[in-house]
Amino acid sequence: MATDYTHIILADDDEDDRMFFTDAFDELKMTVKVTTYNDGVYLMDYLNQEDAILPNILFLDLNMPRKSGMECLKEIKENSRFKDVVIAIYSTSASEEDIENTFIKGANIYIKKPSDFKVLKKVLSNVVTTNWQYHTNGLNKDNFLLRL
Amino acid sequence: MIIKRIYKSSWFVKVVFVVSLFAIIFIAGLGYKHITNLSKSTEMVIHTYKVNVELEQILSYLKDSETGQRGYIITQDSLYLKPFIEGRKKVNNSFAELKYLTSDNPEQQKNLKELSSLIDKRLDNLEIASNYAANDQTDLTRFKDVFQEGKNYMGAIRNKLNYMISIENDLLKKRKEEYVSDARFTPVFLYSLILLTLVLMYAAYAKINSNLEKLKKSNQQLEIFKESTNQSEIINKHGSWRWNVEEDSFYFSDNLFRLLGEEPGSFAQTIENFMKFVHPEDVEKLSSQVDEMKENKDLPFIVYRVIHKSGDTRYLKAYGKSTVNSEGITQLLGTTTDITDEIDHYNTLEKRNQELELNNKELQAFNYVASHDLQEPLRKIQTFLSRLEDREQDNFSESGKKYVERINNAASRMRLLIDDLLQYSRTNKSDEILKNSDINKLLEDAQQDLAEVIIAKNATITTVKIPEMKVIPFQIQQLFGNLIGNSLKYSAKDRNPIIAISYDKVEASDDQQLSKALYDEYHRITISDNGIGFEQEYAEKIFTLFNRLHNKDEYSGTGIGLSICKKIVDNHSGFIFAKGEPNIGAVFSIYLPLV
Repeated sequence: MATDYTHIILADDDEDDRMFFTDAFDELKMTVKVTTYNDGVYLMDYLNQEDAILPNILFLDLNMPRKSGMECLKEIKENSRFKDVVIAIYSTSASEEDIENTFIKGANIYIKKPSDFKVLKKVLSNVVTTNWQYHTNGLNKDNFLLRL
Repeated sequence: MIIKRIYKSSWFVKVVFVVSLFAIIFIAGLGYKHITNLSKSTEMVIHTYKVNVELEQILSYLKDSETGQRGYIITQDSLYLKPFIEGRKKVNNSFAELKYLTSDNPEQQKNLKELSSLIDKRLDNLEIASNYAANDQTDLTRFKDVFQEGKNYMGAIRNKLNYMISIENDLLKKRKEEYVSDARFTPVFLYSLILLTLVLMYAAYAKINSNLEKLKKSNQQLEIFKESTNQSEIINKHGSWRWNVEEDSFYFSDNLFRLLGEEPGSFAQTIENFMKFVHPEDVEKLSSQVDEMKENKDLPFIVYRVIHKSGDTRYLKAYGKSTVNSEGITQLLGTTTDITDEIDHYNTLEKRNQELELNNKELQAFNYVASHDLQEPLRKIQTFLSRLEDREQDNFSESGKKYVERINNAASRMRLLIDDLLQYSRTNKSDEILKNSDINKLLEDAQQDLAEVIIAKNATITTVKIPEMKVIPFQIQQLFGNLIGNSLKYSAKDRNPIIAISYDKVEASDDQQLSKALYDEYHRITISDNGIGFEQEYAEKIFTLFNRLHNKDEYSGTGIGLSICKKIVDNHSGFIFAKGEPNIGAVFSIYLPLV
């Protein structure tokens, strides 16, 4: 992608969370373009358009109506068009089961939504500044869940 | 001893009968021989007397002839010659008889020949003498000589006859002696033989009698056994049956009728009648299995339903085995049991299991609600609070700031509660698999998790080497984490915490606390500290959910941590005990079964 900013998409049905997310990037003052979708169906509708600009990093909430984050993850990983998209799971829960399943399905990182706005900013900036090319090579189950 | 054994053996009676049979045949043979001997002896006596009589008769004829001759010589009357002529004829007759009678005795034959020549000579002499008399030459010396010669001949004949008679008498005597010894010995022998036979027969009789007695006893026992079998069939709800495949005849035990809801013997014992009770859906299955039973020796259990006349449906389980009896007839021996109660129990259990599973699913759903839905609003409250503190700090009055702080504390506590409750409910999982784990590593990891607090409190933790155990690893790590965390939390303010972890192996029988133990041997891991301790009376209470010994202002906590510990140990079929002494410290002992 020949753009000089990082394209970020968030799919989350919770309005407050979408607000925290965009606020955090606003305050971080990074060269990013953030787009949000209200659920999995809207997200996939966008991504499946032929002329869609694919994101560098896609943040997926797991628990969404109509189409869950897990379903989106499955569809994206089955389509080679999206092979370069970094997928970050962005969920309230951090149950062993969810972590295990998303790891197997091929997500790149698992983020448990923090309960402190300052921590949120730190997490997001960390994710955006990570060299994913390098990180993906050394990906394993232990560093899959993001810990700060 | 040997006699006793022979007596007890089953072929004893047969042997006695064979021996007795031979003895009787022998006795009969001997008796026959004895009688034959007796009649032979009688014949011999008669024979001897006959011979003797004939011999005497010869002498008497000769005497008659002699007398006749003498009469003729004196009277010259020819009338006197008649006995002389007849005498010669008679002597010849007697001679022929004697020859026949002594035909078996060569000596007497020889004697007879000699006698014959003597008699011939004597008769010739008589004739010569008679001729002299007829010619009136009796005065001649020659006549006298002839007369003298006749007398001599007569003496010789008399001697010969006497000799022959004595020979016959000797023979008779000898035969008599033989007969007497025979007759004396035979009865004794016969008598003892009969006596022996009688003894043997008596023994056989006694044996048969005792066998009969035994048979009677075993019959009685059989009768008792049969009765108790009948009773046990009733109690255990089973019946038995016999099927003679070749004759296609059946025998049903009384209780088999009852299993069909009928009175014993109320219908003819045939497979057709039995099949009338079988549930229509099971008839085909049972019939094919019955056919199979005819061919195979052993069959698996057959379960089928029967319908009583009252309308009740009962489940029966049958098992049959083919056997060949002592007469070489193939029979199927079978048992049928009413398993309706078992099936009912099973169904009830199944239902309960399903209910339990449903409950479990509801619990899991609650877990999810707690972990996700409850956490979400709380997280947002906390995030908004952090934003308030961050951006609106300057707009708050002093009391406003204080309220925000209080809200923050309350939210934090709520988070702690939700997390701990979740932890507690997750510890429930019983489908976790026990696997061999390095306990030292789990202990190390638990300490790692607490590293910050350990450093902050300047705590010293000593450990020993602990062997591998079969556990659910993450639960045991949490157990260690909770207990060490507990020791750190309740440390005394005036001294640095010292936590000692030790290990040993104990026999359940050696430890009073393990009176309810299911295993013989246990691993014991002890964690002791020098903290504030507690009154021993609370030793059990501290493990119950939400139970706290301290005000939450003094020590933070939810009252769930030790409950989780108890649950983890329970999951491992182990025990956990606490011992406390105020301001001295606490000791937690974990017992895990050695498997």
